Amino acid sequence: MTGHKLRIKSQVSELERIALFLEELGDLYGLSMKVVMNLNLVLEELVTNTIFYSFKDSNDHFIEIHADADDEKIRIIIEDDGEPFDPTAKGTPESLGKPIEEQQIGGLGIHLVKNLMDSFTYERVDDKNRVYLIKNR
Amino acid sequence: MNIDVRDSGSVKVVAVDGRLDTTNYNELEAVVNKLINEGVKDVVFDLSALEYISSSGLRVMLLTLKKTGAAGGKLILCNMKEGIREIFEISGFTTIFTIMPDMNDALNQF
Repeated sequence: MTGHKLRIKSQVSELERIALFLEELGDLYGLSMKVVMNLNLVLEELVTNTIFYSFKDSNDHFIEIHADADDEKIRIIIEDDGEPFDPTAKGTPESLGKPIEEQQIGGLGIHLVKNLMDSFTYERVDDKNRVYLIKNR
Repeated sequence: MNIDVRDSGSVKVVAVDGRLDTTNYNELEAVVNKLINEGVKDVVFDLSALEYISSSGLRVMLLTLKKTGAAGGKLILCNMKEGIREIFEISGFTTIFTIMPDMNDALNQF
């Protein structure tokens, strides 16, 4: 994989480093603030899920983010060595568009990812989870 | 993130500035819980300087909407930036929240 790489510990406090990484990427490739914000949101949702749910042991784990961009697209890969988990398989939250009494707290993250990205795919490779994201510029 | 609370009559105006995300949503939740416990019913969130929100932040907004409603009051959002509005739209939140263009319109809802 080419391009830019960020390796973070599986901790919520590391989310700040993702924001900085994306700001640098945005400066480098002249991405709009909106695109940077949307990429940040998508990475926060996916990485937070990984941090909270993917690791069943108490060992240190790392999450790797690879990013690359050209005139047309931004490509991002998120890789972790957690339990197999395919985030693309999650459906739309049942409460979406329902009245407030029926709104659930939660379940929105993956829905946001699906709507903000142009491509969102997953594969399990070498005992690792790999999520591929593409955003058209 | 910076949170500023001020009074406008019996309404509490809460300005939420900067980034509302997984690392800090509990700070806003704590402020809201304190207000509700103090008997506050009506709240305006001034989002003029809110630059970023993730699903953790959306959850606090939803909780606040439910709690003010349960207390017999209202939550009104105002001064929302376009990028934040898009996230609200995707989440289906523009139909369950009252979102006003500016503070005057927000305060006129009470």
